[in-house]
Amino acid sequence: MQRRLLPGWVGLILLLVSAAALSVAVGPGGFTNFRAVMDLRLLRLALGIIAGGVLAVVGASLQGLLQNPLADPFTMGVASGAALGASLTLVLGRTAGAFAPVGGFAGALVTMLVVYALARVRGRVTVTGLVLAGVIMSFLFSSLVILVMILGRRTLGEAVYMMMGHLGAIFTGTTVWLFGGVAVLAVVGCAWLFSMSRSLDIMSSGEEAAETLGVDTQRVTKTVFVISSVLVGVVVSFTGAISFVGLVVPHLVRMLFGPEHRRVLPGSFVAGAGILLLSDVLARNIVPGGLPLSIVTALVGVPFFIYLLRSRL
Amino acid sequence: MKAIELSGIAFGYDERLLFEGFNLDIDAGEFLGVIGPNGAGKSTLLRLVAGLLRPSRGSIRIGERDLGVLNRREVARAVGVVLQENPFAFDYTVSDVVMMGRNPYLGRFQSPGKQDRGAVNSSLEFVDALFLRDKRINAISAGERQRVVLARALAQEPGILMLDEATSHLDIAHQQLIARILVQLNRRGKTVVFLSHDLNLAALYCSRILLLDRGKAIACDVPERVITAELIRSVYGVEPIVTRHPESGRPQVMLPVAAAGRE
Repeated sequence: MQRRLLPGWVGLILLLVSAAALSVAVGPGGFTNFRAVMDLRLLRLALGIIAGGVLAVVGASLQGLLQNPLADPFTMGVASGAALGASLTLVLGRTAGAFAPVGGFAGALVTMLVVYALARVRGRVTVTGLVLAGVIMSFLFSSLVILVMILGRRTLGEAVYMMMGHLGAIFTGTTVWLFGGVAVLAVVGCAWLFSMSRSLDIMSSGEEAAETLGVDTQRVTKTVFVISSVLVGVVVSFTGAISFVGLVVPHLVRMLFGPEHRRVLPGSFVAGAGILLLSDVLARNIVPGGLPLSIVTALVGVPFFIYLLRSRL
Repeated sequence: MKAIELSGIAFGYDERLLFEGFNLDIDAGEFLGVIGPNGAGKSTLLRLVAGLLRPSRGSIRIGERDLGVLNRREVARAVGVVLQENPFAFDYTVSDVVMMGRNPYLGRFQSPGKQDRGAVNSSLEFVDALFLRDKRINAISAGERQRVVLARALAQEPGILMLDEATSHLDIAHQQLIARILVQLNRRGKTVVFLSHDLNLAALYCSRILLLDRGKAIACDVPERVITAELIRSVYGVEPIVTRHPESGRPQVMLPVAAAGRE
């Protein structure tokens, strides 16, 4: 395993660098107004790195915490919950300041707690219970996003982008600063999750066993839930809900590095960022006017996931 | 010195209490077997002592310290537990798994050092599993996995070792291997608490046996006084034949020919 570490890292970093280069170089609009185009694309690049990295790191952490290879912000309904929270702040006219990220966080946290409570039967969270509860809540929140958008006289297009993700957030003077804050928060949150790597490793052998090994599983669970909700909530408030990145990327990284979280988490950040940027390059260039991101991530993610299902799960 | 003291314990999963006013003293260096029918409370007892469950009344003391004031890491340094089921959601290497036993000694940002790697290796060596070090945990046999989980508990360097049905899935060669390892550990001063449905194995190796039935201690004494036809009949409702082991003289239990029932 050790000898695959260096090539693995080189590969992931090459992936990210080439994805970033493509993301900046390719796109509609040409280079007639170089400054303006570059400003837009660099912001888009930064948003893509943060969003992809965060979703993958949160997915990897939730998979370890819940001993569940199917856990991720999207399958657990947390991303849709965040999208609902962000949509509500949007239609209520609270677009200024930090309302949207806070709404996203609130939606994410509430969903996380509801899904966890629904999935916990007689003190045990089962793999299927969690995914079923997540899928159901996801359906509910997707419908509610559309309902809220229609009631708020927004376009269905906006609702679709909220539910299926995009990196085309429109930045104004204040939202650029807000995004700066979100980026710092994302780095801090991911580092915090990273600092819990060993506890997450131990929890993958079951909650009770982890407790006998000195892990305070309740505290770890609460901390991971809150950090994940903050991270997913603020990211979704900028990008909408993006599928499959959080689910598939951690598995890909485990194939490279083995299951230890101190490698899987940083690896997932880099790979998640790279894959999301590549998906975005496809999403805005294969069809004039662009596509929601989840269309591309699903087209790429589903075949890989089927492979995982058949060979590894 | 007492390794474990339970006094006046009350505990139940619902409004009905399983344990009520339950007392038990386990001496340091003892090899205690815990037997009893399904639902007798063996696993619950283990979970109470390991701090996985909290009694609603009464006190538990581990090595003369109250369990309630110890944090998880302190408990993990005192008590090593081998649970019945040991699923691994992800495929760690055997040495990674055993290194998890060093968690109670490592700070949050501290990497394992020379001492920790030494403890991992000597634990694996003790259970005769050093050769598995680089194998994946989900790629080894059930008997090997049980030894690895035992090694993980040993890496915690606990004074007390508790095992829940540690031998029930294993063939007789592996049962004997685990039993021998436990006897050796006990000789080196570890207190061993061995929960089992295997009356013969318990009778053969334990210095004292606790017979539990529905949360009550029916008997707690040397095997000769606990593994008797009368007690086995009254607790399990079977008509056993109790003989003596030809080498050690310890009691051994057999079922009669009409084991299926006496209609």
